[in-house]
Amino acid sequence: MDLGFTFLLVANGILIGLMYALIALGFVLVYKATDAINFAQGEFVMAPGIVAAVVAGAANSFWLGAAVAVAAMIGFSFLLERTVLRPLLGRPVIAVIMATIGLAAILRGTLPMLFGTSPLPLALPLGDEPIEVGSLTLQPAQVAGAAVALSALVIFTWFFRSNRGGVAMRAMADDQQAASAMGVNVTRYFAFAWAMAGVVSALGGVMWGAMLGVDVQLALVGLKVFPVVILGGLDSIGGAVLGGLIVGVVENLAAGYIDPLVGGGTKDFAPYVLMVAALLIRPYGMFGTRRIERV
Amino acid sequence: MNKRLLWVSALVVGLGPAMSREAGAQSKEVVFGMQCDRTGPTEIVGSVACVGMHDYVDLINSKGGVDGYRIKLIDIDNQYKVPPAVEAFQREKEAGAVTMAIYGTPQVVALAQQCNDSKISCTSPGFGISASADGKRYPYVFPIAASYWSQAAAAVEYAKQQLGGSLKGKKIAYLFYDNPAGREGLPVLQDLKASEGFELSEFAVPPPGLDANAQALDIAQRTRADFVLMHLFGRAPSIALKALKGNGYPLRKVIGFVWASAEADIEAAGGFGAVNGYNTLQFAGVGTDYPVHKEIAAMYAKDGKAAPKEMQSTVYYNRGIAWAALHVQALNNAISAKGGAAPNGEEVKRGFEAIYDFTLGGIVPPLKITEADHEGGGYVQVWQVEGGKLVKKTDWYRAYPEVVQKQIKMAEK
Amino acid sequence: MFHREAGVFKTTYAADMSLFPLPVARKAIAVICVLLVAFIPLVCSEYQLSQFNLIFIAVVGALGLNILVGYTGQISIGHGAFMSVGAYTAANLAVRLDLPFWITLPAGGLMAALIGAAVGVPSLRIKGLYLAITTLAAQLIIEWTINHVPFISGGTQVSIPVPKPSLFGFQFETQRELYFLLLLAAGVATIATLNLVRSRLGRAFVAIRDHDIAAEITGIDIFRYKLLAFAISSFYAGVTGVLYTYYLGIANYEQFQIDVSIDFLAMIIIGGLGSVLGPILGAAFVTLLPIFIRGLMQSMGGLLMNENTLAAVIPNLRLTLFGVAIILFLIVEPEGLNRLWRNSRNYFRFWPFSY
Repeated sequence: MDLGFTFLLVANGILIGLMYALIALGFVLVYKATDAINFAQGEFVMAPGIVAAVVAGAANSFWLGAAVAVAAMIGFSFLLERTVLRPLLGRPVIAVIMATIGLAAILRGTLPMLFGTSPLPLALPLGDEPIEVGSLTLQPAQVAGAAVALSALVIFTWFFRSNRGGVAMRAMADDQQAASAMGVNVTRYFAFAWAMAGVVSALGGVMWGAMLGVDVQLALVGLKVFPVVILGGLDSIGGAVLGGLIVGVVENLAAGYIDPLVGGGTKDFAPYVLMVAALLIRPYGMFGTRRIERV
Repeated sequence: MNKRLLWVSALVVGLGPAMSREAGAQSKEVVFGMQCDRTGPTEIVGSVACVGMHDYVDLINSKGGVDGYRIKLIDIDNQYKVPPAVEAFQREKEAGAVTMAIYGTPQVVALAQQCNDSKISCTSPGFGISASADGKRYPYVFPIAASYWSQAAAAVEYAKQQLGGSLKGKKIAYLFYDNPAGREGLPVLQDLKASEGFELSEFAVPPPGLDANAQALDIAQRTRADFVLMHLFGRAPSIALKALKGNGYPLRKVIGFVWASAEADIEAAGGFGAVNGYNTLQFAGVGTDYPVHKEIAAMYAKDGKAAPKEMQSTVYYNRGIAWAALHVQALNNAISAKGGAAPNGEEVKRGFEAIYDFTLGGIVPPLKITEADHEGGGYVQVWQVEGGKLVKKTDWYRAYPEVVQKQIKMAEK
Repeated sequence: MFHREAGVFKTTYAADMSLFPLPVARKAIAVICVLLVAFIPLVCSEYQLSQFNLIFIAVVGALGLNILVGYTGQISIGHGAFMSVGAYTAANLAVRLDLPFWITLPAGGLMAALIGAAVGVPSLRIKGLYLAITTLAAQLIIEWTINHVPFISGGTQVSIPVPKPSLFGFQFETQRELYFLLLLAAGVATIATLNLVRSRLGRAFVAIRDHDIAAEITGIDIFRYKLLAFAISSFYAGVTGVLYTYYLGIANYEQFQIDVSIDFLAMIIIGGLGSVLGPILGAAFVTLLPIFIRGLMQSMGGLLMNENTLAAVIPNLRLTLFGVAIILFLIVEPEGLNRLWRNSRNYFRFWPFSY
């Protein structure tokens, strides 16, 4: 066993894992506050990525692109909550799943009509030179993404623990009627939760866009969300980050050590197997609330 | 105005077979059916190459068609899904298509039998079934470009030249998309590994391939490969290029197969400057320096329209031209062989098998399609990223044809 | 159906539960049968028949998925993979053991049922989102397995060609011949579903959907029935996969990926959950939507934009409208096309006294 190589694999896994966490955060925020499941999380990342790249390209300013993307996602989330998700309140879980799948199709159809299909570059104002730390070479976009993911973790943990709005959201997630009776404006916080998810997704889109370039295919990162959130716990901010780290490290180790044995790519497969195992043993994840009904 | 008429008539034709027969009788027309993918996983390719096909057919029609026959191009998007591809096939067959461009490997696999049953020549340049080079076994399937087997052989040949003429004891890494198309190069490589004496290590990138860091790390720092053969699709090539570069692997020692080699991949990997030295395999000419390009530009200028921006993505656009041109040439051969009468599917098949010495000013390889060989030789060129553009490194060549033949023979069993 | 129902009084439960609630319905069904069996294959072209064929295959899968989602209230995003299980089982049996169609068809269904039931096991412990994700995982794991196990996949191409189907010594080759075979399959699936949902089993499924704990208290063995729902639904999916395989002459896992699972979910959502007519209408809707949009855009769009732009716009518009249709039906008419049909029927039933 080559220890140096293993170390590099794990380091890579941690970095990419934090990028996964950034995507999963948007999913968790929505689920934590509104119980809704967003199967369009990948498109939620892809769409602001495209907007940011288009604006940044036209105005020649990364910051303007990022700001417009964030603003656009806030507006979009409010609109979405109002027109699509609110009428579906109280409907079975399949309704919200299918609505978000429909939403995903709409985003994947309209964006290329507006902005074309070719991949657009989105350059961070950090330059493109890899950063060398010992034997490790780090991509600036990945480092920035990791930093954003970690700061989002800190901010949202604080928000849900100490901020009045965050506490209200937790109350709402716990019991909507009781929260409503205690004076929490449920509809307003619903919209607010979606907007927060929109902001995080926009940041994720900008970071992933900077790392890979953006086009419609970027939405495929959405498939990574599920192992991450299941492993970490669906309604836990810290869990999303930990789940991201687990998935990132596991898939890198799988690629490094299992692939040569089975002669096929296990990188995307391994996290799903791990996730199924986790579902059977501990369905609420590492840090999730124990809320599984047994029937 | 003319175009409007064309579209209206296309719709009318689509609505009823009875009507289409009338429309067909009124003007001299041959129907060429194509499928495309503009929303699925290969939209990067389809949204450019299909424009090239349309433009080439428009160009031929603007010059009076093939031997006086107007080409009616029916374009149906199959979303890279099989049921819509079946629907598209039936619809185009209904409209009287005598030849079809099928889009996507699963789609070709699903339709190959129907192409044979319906006696319609179906093409799949650079994808589809490698074994369909065998015209005896697949009489109506025409790969008409280097198959993945030929590409693998050509890539090994190039690596051999770059590594000083011998591969003995060298380490070759095969970085491939983990699906049937991606794995298809493997048997040829394993065969060559024995005869050329190199070490082969395989690195699978599972679809959709949005992260290839672990594989790149292994190639650059554990395996320390002498050359990398990269057979990836979609977003995976650009991501793998970034990862290889990020891990300090010299891109001069990387060669991409045909679907990893377009301007779009290079742009997405950080631009021409970032991937300087990267080698690409091509089955159609690259760049705008071909007479047909000037003619298409002139055609747009004459109509007072701007040329489509896809024309600048020359790798896929030119493949679209070459793809359509081979169909048109086959139609041309079929019509001349019949003394100017409208050809049927069988005659177009023979038209394809008569393609020889047709290069369209260098954009199409010097194919020699015969009844036995529907691949036409499996010629490729290598173009390298150099000084901000793709530069031609080799002329058309093929490598290890006997090894590729062996695979075709083995597939027969 | 287009009929009045005055003067029919039911005096027994059996009469109320019968397949044809009204005598006149028999006649209406008979007319539809004659249309499908005799009229359509006579007047339609091969191309139009090929559209019917694709719809018939989709109907089988959509009916099956609806048993699970619409009647039992479980979720599956893995039905595409169950179809591939059926497809590869049938193809392997047909090629290696040279078994005929009438054996490989149920064999493919049974294998899919087995795998489906295994995937359904966690449904005892988990529901809603967790179940959705488990089935999604099943989709990816089954895809990976088929892709990497040569014993199943039949080699590097991961596709197995099969001979044309034959039944009672007759070989189905052209679209017109296949039409009858697939019509038979869709017809059998429809009748089986109609009978299933009015049986004890179907009522148990509905009870579980409406309130699982209450169902258990009334004596329904939830575990058993949930597994049965998964197995039956996957059986339909497996049969769908076998039909695709024989229809196309080849089994190929790339045609059963996750977007297929989503297409089938869309069919039952748009058609109407928890009905038999719904999935049939939904299957037709989802199959015909792209064809309709293409026809419309090619006649109208040609006036607005050039050929190349139009060719690029059509597929993206299709994707967008597909999403819009799903969301619109979810919000405006959750019971789908089935409900729209019933509404219009009721309107005419009371016409001209619409109050």
